[in-house]
Amino acid sequence: MENLDKYRNIFVEVFNVPAEAVGPDFKKDTVEAWDSVHQLNIMALLEETFDVMLDPEDILALTSFDAGLEILRKYDVEI
Amino acid sequence: MAKWTINNVRMAGVSAAVPKNEVLTADIPLFTPEEAATFDATVGIKRRRIAPDDVCASDLCLAAGERLLEALGWERDTIDVLIFESVTGDYRTPPTSCILQDRLGLGEDCFCLDVPMGCCGCLYALNVGGNLLTTGNVKRALLLIGDTALRMGSMKDKSRVPLFGDGAAAIALEYDPEAAPIIVDFHTYGKGYEALMTPHGGFRRPATEESFVEEDFGNGIVRAPIHTLINGMNVFSFAISRPPKSMEKLLAEEGIDRNSDIDYFLIHQANKLIVDRIVKKMKLPLEKVPYNLEDFGNLGGASLPSLMVTRLREPLTTAPQRLLMESFGLGLTWGTILMETTPMVIPPLVEV
Repeated sequence: MENLDKYRNIFVEVFNVPAEAVGPDFKKDTVEAWDSVHQLNIMALLEETFDVMLDPEDILALTSFDAGLEILRKYDVEI
Repeated sequence: MAKWTINNVRMAGVSAAVPKNEVLTADIPLFTPEEAATFDATVGIKRRRIAPDDVCASDLCLAAGERLLEALGWERDTIDVLIFESVTGDYRTPPTSCILQDRLGLGEDCFCLDVPMGCCGCLYALNVGGNLLTTGNVKRALLLIGDTALRMGSMKDKSRVPLFGDGAAAIALEYDPEAAPIIVDFHTYGKGYEALMTPHGGFRRPATEESFVEEDFGNGIVRAPIHTLINGMNVFSFAISRPPKSMEKLLAEEGIDRNSDIDYFLIHQANKLIVDRIVKKMKLPLEKVPYNLEDFGNLGGASLPSLMVTRLREPLTTAPQRLLMESFGLGLTWGTILMETTPMVIPPLVEV
């Protein structure tokens, strides 16, 4: 599976939504269920899926689909 | 780099004291029964000991210290160093360590020091005490570590009340040229200091009438500026990221295999979510990671020594053990200590 699909699946799993719903518009401001617990769950799956260890700033900045992509690229994940 | 190798220092004994009063999560008025059950299952803190208002951290420390000295058979005038680690001292001045020197009947030649460092307190006390003993100029140190953290905050703050318990520990250190080196590694992230703080009541913002005006922050959080606050998300993200990275680095630097070179990993018992996450990230063997947060909650600096007393008494009193101790807390600070113990004295848990 491509990294982008793996990444998208994290949101599918955490929010229990179809893959089509997950894209650039998927963000804390627009997704009602996006609370701190969901954010931490995304973080946990990101770390496990891509074998990275995020910094506190990354976890706090993880507030949208696009932000997550940016964070992963910082850790040299090809996505 | 804040890293030390402390030679010639042995941990001779550890004790812990907690109040008798046990409070279940369901007994906390802020929770419905359903919320309490969810909290127990997720955060993992099912009960905690709460001291009455007239019992201070120093009283619990005194009980732990008395019991340990008695068990060790150490004469009071042989204690050269007394360190009191707490953010809940008796008074703003004088240092509580001086009061405890008198209450414990220690000699006038005893060096006393207060160290107010919160959840990393045990590691700070070990580092300072160990470094004072390493040259052999002084031979024995008593570290008293304890807090009554609950009453620092608002009793209407759901984000804080259920997390903490009251308790104290005493650790005896002794100069011993045969002792294995103690490796200490410390870090500080001062930029994050606002995540755990008491905004008013210090000299930056002295207490005024405004300090006691409560505000409703929603989600069951009602507090005033005089109360200690926790920014849960900031603390959580810090606790599950910085400490594991440092631990990984330290294990690599010291050439330590986590599966075969360490007998027990003592992780600060902040809450189950954080400890579980660190264990998972570090791929630690679960059978080597004792927990006692379900019974005592977050005991601040006393958390790690309380694990030794309540969960590791048998192995620590009967055989050498290689320990990795990890703590994180206000400041924000975090640190790791690697040490190899020899059989030590650990009296049963003291209930006050």
